[in-house]
Amino acid sequence: MRIRAVAVLAAVALAVTAPAWAADPNKVIRDVFPVAESGFDPAAAHDLYSAEVEQAIFETLYTYDYLARPAKVVPLTADGMPVVTDDGKTYTIKLKRGIYFTPDKAFKGKRRELTVDDYIYELKRLADPKIKSAWTFLVEGKIVGLDALAEEAKKTGKFDYDRKIEGLEAIDPYTLRIRLTATDYNLPYVLAHEPTSAVAREVVEMYAESDGRIMANPVGTGPYMLTEWIHSSKMVLTANPGYRGFTWNFTSSDPADAPLIAEMKGKSMPRVGRVEIYVMEEDQSRLLAFQNRELDIMNLEGPLAPKVLDGDKLKPAFAELGVKLSRIVDPEISYTYWNMEDPVWGGFGLPQIALRRAVAMSYDTDADIRVIRNGQAVAAKYPIPPGVVGHVPDWQPLNAYDPATANALLDHFGYKKAADGYRNLPDGRPFAMTLSSRPDTLGRQQDELWKKSLDAIGVRLDVRKDKFPEQLKAEKACKLQSRVASWIADYPDGDNFMQLMYGPNTGQSNNGCARIPAYDKLYEQSVRMPPGPARDKLYMDMTRITEVYATWRLTISRYRNQLVQPRVEGYRKHPILHAQWQYLDVKE
Amino acid sequence: MTAYILRRLWQMIPTLLGVILLVFFLFNWVGGDPAYVLAGKISNQEQIDNIRRQLGVDQPYYVQLGIFIKQVLTGNFGASWSTNETISHILATRLGPSLTVTVPLLILDTLIAIGLALAVAYVRGSLTDRMVMIVCTVGLSVSILVYIIVFQYVFAYKLGWFPVQGWGDSFWQNLVKYASLPILIGLAVSIAPDLRLFRTFVLDEINQDYVRTARAKGVGENRIMWVHVLRNASIPIITNVMAQLPGLLVGVFLIERFFSIPGIGREVILAVERSDFPVIKAITVYVAVATMVFNLLADLMYKAVDPRVQLK
Repeated sequence: MRIRAVAVLAAVALAVTAPAWAADPNKVIRDVFPVAESGFDPAAAHDLYSAEVEQAIFETLYTYDYLARPAKVVPLTADGMPVVTDDGKTYTIKLKRGIYFTPDKAFKGKRRELTVDDYIYELKRLADPKIKSAWTFLVEGKIVGLDALAEEAKKTGKFDYDRKIEGLEAIDPYTLRIRLTATDYNLPYVLAHEPTSAVAREVVEMYAESDGRIMANPVGTGPYMLTEWIHSSKMVLTANPGYRGFTWNFTSSDPADAPLIAEMKGKSMPRVGRVEIYVMEEDQSRLLAFQNRELDIMNLEGPLAPKVLDGDKLKPAFAELGVKLSRIVDPEISYTYWNMEDPVWGGFGLPQIALRRAVAMSYDTDADIRVIRNGQAVAAKYPIPPGVVGHVPDWQPLNAYDPATANALLDHFGYKKAADGYRNLPDGRPFAMTLSSRPDTLGRQQDELWKKSLDAIGVRLDVRKDKFPEQLKAEKACKLQSRVASWIADYPDGDNFMQLMYGPNTGQSNNGCARIPAYDKLYEQSVRMPPGPARDKLYMDMTRITEVYATWRLTISRYRNQLVQPRVEGYRKHPILHAQWQYLDVKE
Repeated sequence: MTAYILRRLWQMIPTLLGVILLVFFLFNWVGGDPAYVLAGKISNQEQIDNIRRQLGVDQPYYVQLGIFIKQVLTGNFGASWSTNETISHILATRLGPSLTVTVPLLILDTLIAIGLALAVAYVRGSLTDRMVMIVCTVGLSVSILVYIIVFQYVFAYKLGWFPVQGWGDSFWQNLVKYASLPILIGLAVSIAPDLRLFRTFVLDEINQDYVRTARAKGVGENRIMWVHVLRNASIPIITNVMAQLPGLLVGVFLIERFFSIPGIGREVILAVERSDFPVIKAITVYVAVATMVFNLLADLMYKAVDPRVQLK
């Protein structure tokens, strides 16, 4: 009810001042989520689908160019890129003027202009222990004075949002200065990430639940407003009539984008007045609804791919209907890691290294892609996936599939086969690789492929099924021997992937508890460097270190296939941006 | 009568306590620690401990159990761990869509099954009777999942008679447009077993002396079947229908999921997937209470239908 009231209020309040590029309410796009959303508080929600809606409602200081690949940060509400001084420790950011929040009763009938205080407030919210934000890592240990404020809140039970800190300074309502504890050239990526979106304090104070979250009351400055929400079922976004708009003027170096540019260039955006999002968990329901033209856009999940695609092309039945396919490699990697603290599989002695490298060489990635992923993945050879800054496309990994060499390596280091055909340790004790996996179809398929791979080199596999939270608990305590894990980019920079093997991240994102001094030293150098060839060289050296020690086996990066109805114009899947409706048009 | 009702209500307390204990220990045994999932991709032990503290899962089991019992007594189950939506709001908003499907389904199923049961019982032993029973046996051997997939493909996609999925905010639109196919599927699944069962109840009555007497007195066959036989067969039918009533409140899990109906059944699946204990325990307790209440109502209805029944 409140959502509808806000929509009416917004429409009435802004009807007089509606810009010439106001979106057409008759242009509707129907999208689908395969998993239910949780809510729309940028600091609190941490699922992909809630983030997609948040990006349409809230605005960050920076965003990504729609067509540039690899993804390129560009200003959104910021008036230009930040001025970086003090060796990458101080960022000064100017804000565009005249940006307003959508009307809400929290603003007591006044137009509420966006200021840098709204960003400062949200960055503080990420550190507030009461909110339990999963995004605390974006600011923790990075902004001068913020950790101390959070520590104080843990003691007092109340976060002092009024306290000014050196790290977050509003020089004036349109100028923000952020001081960092250490050099960090990735801050613009953080400031393009939806948890750092501008949130008005008045809104939080009016609607916050007991834990300080505002999951059901999103009020932002973005192109759309939430006007209808049936939890876990349907969300309707209506174009924000007060949105400042922009002209579709993107360029691309990819010739395949030429038709898209031709149909969209020069249009005032957003065009689409209404976005309807349905939650449909079942594959069949989504595909039938798309075929029935009840949906305009849908992500083609792996199990559905063989029904729609022949390799990387649409099947004739879909192509003849004019359905468009937008296909990218997701900025993610899947990998199997080994616990470096495990008495058998961990450690840096030559026999242990040989064992891990042999097992890494036994894994048939092509079979993984063909059998498990239905052809909808590419081999991950480098820790930084395609589309992410720092990716090396022609990298030749040391531990590629080679069971013959794997067997020779194990023979050489004394892992002799016993009567049962499986190998024992050099001291004669039997051993196995204990793979923890989830009790679902994908987990079982991965178990089977690992079993087949290890059988080929005579190594026993012991599969351990457990609840996912329990696996995470054991992993964080370095008690899990190995697991198939994956990582998707929070921001499109190599740092987001290279930190996975950084020793001090043990217990957080370093699943295998790898602590390699040489790697850590190079990583610490890399974080003080801007992206470029010098940092890329460090990343390559670090990658070689992980290959030599075989701390993990990189396996695949999945394709993301988006199906789009012919009436939708301007669609191209972006590797990082979630919400793209503001860049689209619909044919009359 | 009042003493009987009070006694039955009193007997619900140990049953409910059993449900509470079962749910509590099952969740803690099977569910895992939710803090590790809620903490997100990059989290340290301190943040996880903070979440555990705020959820209350760092408390000793007896304290957590005490909180659970207090929630049951007050009816305040707090909020979902995943979405922060209050449990009362979840129940209030999800119940309507579930009932929009299940109430018409139960009414239609009961009426159709009774009508058909009377008809086939009347021609018992005939080819028609045997054919209907074969169809019923085949029908109830097929999984509901098959019905859903086939009906959705044929009637929604191929023939286009219904939308593939959807739900709106108008009751009539939901009932007529979106719930029709789910109800049809529900009928395909439920009529066969109910028809077989009700036919048995009717056959039990049709051979009784009072039926022969009625016929001897020249009472018409329609009156015998619809008035005399049906009234006497109604006690086991009522038992069967009342046993299904708590199911109305739970919704139809798979149908709600396949047709994107925002009902209780879909919410339960979501809550299990998310290890959302407040939602799971609230819905379990509420279904347990509903089951006990409906059982009591069934017993009271026996008395109304058959004066020979004594409530002790």
